[in-house]
Amino acid sequence: MTTENPNFNKPIFANRFLRALSRIRRNRPNNNSNPSSLRRRSKKIKMAAYASMASAAAGSNKAWTRALIRRLRNRRRPRSGLHHRVVVRETEPVGRVDELRRLVPGGRGMDFDTLLDETAHYVQCLSSQVALMQSIADSIIMD
Amino acid sequence: MEKEKFFMNTNNNGSGYNCNSDQLQQPCFLNLNWESSIDQTSTAHFESALSSLVSSPAASAATTGAPPTDNVVIRELIGRLGSICNSGEVSPQSYIGGNRSTNTSCYSTPLNSPPKLNLSMNPMNAHHVGTPLDPGFAERAARFSCFGGRSYEGLSGQFRLPEAELPFRANPPKLVETGKLSRVSSSQSLMGASQSGPETPLTASEGPNEANVRKRKAAPKGKSKEPPKDLNVVEEEDLSAKRSRSAEANGNAKDAIKLKVEQNNGGSSPGDNAKKQQNKEIQKPPEPPKDYIHVRARRGQATDSHSLAERVRREKISERMKFLQDLVPGCNKVTGKAVMLDEIINYVQSLQRQVEFLSMKLATVNPRLDFNMESLLAKDILQSCGSLPHNGFPLENSASTFTFAQSAQQGNALQSMVNSGLETQCSLNPSDNHTIRRSLSMQLPGMDGLCDAASQLGSFWEDDLQSVVQMGFGQNGESFPGSLPTTQMQIKL
Repeated sequence: MTTENPNFNKPIFANRFLRALSRIRRNRPNNNSNPSSLRRRSKKIKMAAYASMASAAAGSNKAWTRALIRRLRNRRRPRSGLHHRVVVRETEPVGRVDELRRLVPGGRGMDFDTLLDETAHYVQCLSSQVALMQSIADSIIMD
Repeated sequence: MEKEKFFMNTNNNGSGYNCNSDQLQQPCFLNLNWESSIDQTSTAHFESALSSLVSSPAASAATTGAPPTDNVVIRELIGRLGSICNSGEVSPQSYIGGNRSTNTSCYSTPLNSPPKLNLSMNPMNAHHVGTPLDPGFAERAARFSCFGGRSYEGLSGQFRLPEAELPFRANPPKLVETGKLSRVSSSQSLMGASQSGPETPLTASEGPNEANVRKRKAAPKGKSKEPPKDLNVVEEEDLSAKRSRSAEANGNAKDAIKLKVEQNNGGSSPGDNAKKQQNKEIQKPPEPPKDYIHVRARRGQATDSHSLAERVRREKISERMKFLQDLVPGCNKVTGKAVMLDEIINYVQSLQRQVEFLSMKLATVNPRLDFNMESLLAKDILQSCGSLPHNGFPLENSASTFTFAQSAQQGNALQSMVNSGLETQCSLNPSDNHTIRRSLSMQLPGMDGLCDAASQLGSFWEDDLQSVVQMGFGQNGESFPGSLPTTQMQIKL
C-alpha cells in the first residue's frame, strides 16, 4: 500500500513517534476514562505524529516539512487564556486549488507547480505515516 | 570548408609565419584549390570544385603535385593584398564578437560560403598558376581585396595575419578546434560581400557577387546532398539562411553585421532565444547565457520568452499531475485536471482523517502500553513486516534471515533486532553483535524456513530497520534509557 519513498525516513519516524507516545503515556498515566483528557491526548499524539513525520521527511528539503514544523512549534507554545479565539482567515478557499493549498502545510505561498510537487511528496509521506501508525495501533490492540 | 581552414589559424596563433612545416606536410588542400581554379573560371565551376574538394581531400591529394614554393608566392601575394585590405573599414568590436563568443548564431552556412571564397580566391590562383602578367590580374586583385576588406570589415586590423596564414590552413587538428570560428569569420565576409561593392573598385565583378547571393539563397536546399561533415552545419543551416536573407533584404551589410554581433553577444532579442535553444545542445563552445531552460519551440509555436516560460510551466504541471495520478489511488481513471484535483484533495483529507483516527486509537490504547510494550512492539512490528510466512514465529524467521544476510548493514540491523527481541537482555553494544550472531546461528541450526526467509530477504529488509528502531526504542523508553545512543547509532546504519 505504501509507495516506497526514499525521502521519508521510516526509522526516524518510528523512533520519534514511539518516544513521543511513551512520553505522553508517562506524563498522564491513569486518567484514560476522562473524555477531555482523551481528546487532549489524542491531539498530542496527532501532533507528535505530524512532527515526527515532518522530521522524518526533513531531508527531502521540501517546503511543507518546514511549514509543518513551524506550525507545530507555534502551536505547542502555551497559549494564555484565549483558547477560543476566532481566527479570521484573510482569504477563504475559493476553488479546488485553494482547498489543496489549505491542506498542504505551507501551501499558500506556492506556485501551482510547486504546490503539486509538494502535494505529491506530502501524500507519500502521509500514506507511509498512516501505514506505520496503523501497524503500531494494530500491534498494541491485538495483544 | 576551405575558408574554415583558411581562417583557422587566425584565431589560434597570432603570427603563423613559422608554420612552414605544417604547410609542407600537407599541401594537398592548397594545391587542389589551385588546380580547380586554374581549370574553371566560372563561379559555378568553382562551387562544384570546392564541394568536390571538400568531399574528397584524398583524391585531390592524388591529383595535385604543386611544389611548396608556390606557397611562398601566394604568401607574398597575400601580403600585398593584405596591405590593400588594410584600407578597408575596421570595426574591432565585431571582431571580438565574431570570435569565440559568436560561434552560435554566426554560423551562417559554412557550406554556403565556399563558392564565395572560391571566387575571391580565383585571382590569386590564376596569378599563381602561370599568368603573373595577366592583364585581368589587377581587376582580380581588386576583387580579392574587396573580398578581404569586406570579410574583415567586421574584424580587426589583424586580418592580414589570417590571409598570410592561408598556406597553413591545412592543419587538421586545429581545423577541428576552430572550425566554428572560421565559419564565423567567413559568414561575416559573406555578409559584407553582398553590400560593399561600391566602396571597393569592384565594378566589374559585381555580377559574380550577385550570383553568389543567389547561390547563398539556393545553397541550403542543395546542401543536403553533401555529406554533413559537421552536425552543426546541418542544424544551423536555416538560421544562417535566415540571417543572410535578412541581410540581403536590408541591402546593408553593416546592419547585418551589427545584428549578428547583437545575436552573438547576448541573444538579446527574445525571438532569437528559441533559435538558440534549438541549437543549444550542439554548442559545445563557451556560451555566455547558459541559465535558461531547454525548450524546444516547434513550428508555429510562439517563441517569445513569456510563452516559452508558460509552456515550461504547463509541462511541469502536467508532469506532476501525472505523478500524482500514480500516487493517488483511484485517480487513474479520471480525466481532467479539476476532477483529479478533487481526487487529490479527497485523498489528502482522508489521510489526515486517518491520522486523526489513529491517534485517537492510540490515545485510547495508550495506558495499556504499560506492561508489555517492548514485547508487543517487537512482535507486532515483525508482523507488520508482513512478508514473512510464519507470523507465529517472527523471531525465528528473523534469525534465519539473519543467517543469510549478506550485506553488513542487514547483518547489523538484524543482529540488533534479534538482540532486542529474542534475548531481552538488551546489550545493544555493537561489539557484542558478533558473538550474539554466532550464538543465534548455533541456536537455530536446522530451521525449516531458512530458504523461505532467504528468498524473502529483499522484501523483508524494507521494513526491518524500522522494526529494529522501534524495538530498540521500546526497550529504551521502557527500561533501558542508557542504551539510547547505541540504538540511534544503529538507526543510522
